[in-house]
Amino acid sequence: MGEAAIQTKGLGKRYGSFWALENCSISVPEGSVSALVGPNGAGKSTLLKLLVGLSSASTGEGEVLGKTPAQHENFLSDIGYLAQEIPLYKSLDAADHIKMGAHLNKRFDKAFIRKRLSDIDIPLDRSVSKLSGGQRAQVALALALAKKPKLLLLDEPVAALDPLARHDFLSSLAQAVADGGLTVVMSSHLLADLERVSDHVIVLAAGKTQLCDDIDTVLKEHKLVVGPKQNKLPEDGFSIIHETHTAKQSTLLVRVDDKKKLPAGWQQHEPNIEEIILAYMGQAKEGGAR
Amino acid sequence: MNWFTWRQHRKQFLVFGVLLAAFAALLIPTGIHFWHEYQHALQNCAQNPAVYNCSDLDSTIFGNQAAGSVRTLVIMGTFGLPLLAGLFIGSPLIAKEYEEGTNKLVWTQSVSRRRWLTTKLAWALLFALLYGALLAALATWWSRTINTIDQNRFVQGHFETQGLMPAAYSVFFTSVGFLTGAWFRKTVLAFAITFGVFVLCMASFANWIRPHYMTPVTVSSPMGPSFETQVPNEAWTISRDILDKNGKPIGDIFPSAPPECQQIIQQSEVRGNGHGGIRVKAVPSPNGGDPIDDCLNKAGFHQIAKYQPAYRYWDFQRIEAGIYMGLTAIAICATYWLVLKRDA
Repeated sequence: MGEAAIQTKGLGKRYGSFWALENCSISVPEGSVSALVGPNGAGKSTLLKLLVGLSSASTGEGEVLGKTPAQHENFLSDIGYLAQEIPLYKSLDAADHIKMGAHLNKRFDKAFIRKRLSDIDIPLDRSVSKLSGGQRAQVALALALAKKPKLLLLDEPVAALDPLARHDFLSSLAQAVADGGLTVVMSSHLLADLERVSDHVIVLAAGKTQLCDDIDTVLKEHKLVVGPKQNKLPEDGFSIIHETHTAKQSTLLVRVDDKKKLPAGWQQHEPNIEEIILAYMGQAKEGGAR
Repeated sequence: MNWFTWRQHRKQFLVFGVLLAAFAALLIPTGIHFWHEYQHALQNCAQNPAVYNCSDLDSTIFGNQAAGSVRTLVIMGTFGLPLLAGLFIGSPLIAKEYEEGTNKLVWTQSVSRRRWLTTKLAWALLFALLYGALLAALATWWSRTINTIDQNRFVQGHFETQGLMPAAYSVFFTSVGFLTGAWFRKTVLAFAITFGVFVLCMASFANWIRPHYMTPVTVSSPMGPSFETQVPNEAWTISRDILDKNGKPIGDIFPSAPPECQQIIQQSEVRGNGHGGIRVKAVPSPNGGDPIDDCLNKAGFHQIAKYQPAYRYWDFQRIEAGIYMGLTAIAICATYWLVLKRDA
């Protein structure tokens, strides 16, 4: 993986006295597919809107494809964005949306989108308000892809879709990624789906970045350890992300320095990415409650 | 952006085109008809003054129910069509995009937000101007019969529906629609507020703002029936007042009148000749005048009228149209600010 497609430093967004996003520093490598996860209100949509220039940051800075997000053509032409509510013009049909895309973008690939929509049997001449939610999402994704972006930002694109439509959508996305040259950041609540398509993960919780790394690295560095309750882990080299205790034993999810050996009396398991993400979200929640 | 703006809004433009055509279909034949009726009535009067009532051609031509209805419809329509442009072209233009989230779709294509906005506003404003200008031309042409007979194009209700005003209103209320839409991001709210602004403007300009574009001409006369004749034809009467000997306006004559005049007024009441309001009539005095007027004149009462003379009509049209263009410019600047500076 090459340079960073997205690099933010202390990015924050405040609405009145409420911080929707605070001190967010992330780095997304070029060519990666990043899963942006976190509980409701964690600032995922806010972050994506800041990255595409739909809102402006209150603090910090962000660089997207080497540029500062702006409302300008030069910046926008390399980015595909799909908003959470999957907006399309209700009174227009898919063919009109294709014309719109061709009209408003220099590099728009009309042949690609026509073929793509006909491959998945979406009628071009029916107003989009009469299409199913899954079909609308496919039209919107196809529009974003036909723009031939270098970066694709998707805000919970599968949230409203049934399992089959979700599967189709993610297959389409995976295919586009396989075609190459595309960096994707996709937010979602559906951790299992993200695991299928992504190789990089960003966990936002309580308005802050909790984790931002390659999934492989994350898996390698995190261990689920189980031991008697009275045992203590050495502080050096082990940072506890999440802990649960029963009467006799403790279960800890820890980030381990590579070279550190687990002391005697502890058993080690490999957690899956879903467990790790939940641990980070749980940690943020407890942190917030404290 | 031009093609897309047209594709997106062509239905609205078309509907308003049809609406205007329908209005023209009412105005053109009736406008010709009433003018002919008027010429015909003039002829009749010249030939047979004894039979035809020539002092009141207005009721000769517009007295029957159908003609009266057409006249009301034309005036209401000329007031209403600019408002409709504001409500149905102006209000949804930006509000609907926010409401349906399509702003996020179109603002992430490779077109700057500023260009998107400029194209949309330019098309809508151009349409409103064309639509308003055609409406103004039609309504002004239609009104020539009434203008000639009643000579009242300067007064409220006629001033707004002729000359430059329908065009100025169309453009202005459309831009109010942009502004409220960009501000509240809800079509219904933008719609309601645009309507409110219309009512407020129509009431406040005619009553409180328009009279002051130029200092009105003031005429003064003694108490009596001579008053009415002092305001020339086609002028717009702003106010009439009765002043006491100190020049202070009085609302009701009776309590302010000196005792001897009060007595005459009371006597005239006993005789059954009612009085009230501003003008007071009683039985004529021996010299032919009204004894109450004579008494009040002796006590130093007099009446004044303030009016805007007819030759100022086009100045007033230009001034008011200018004010509305200024307000339009402010609304458009504010719309730019709201759309470009606020988050999506």
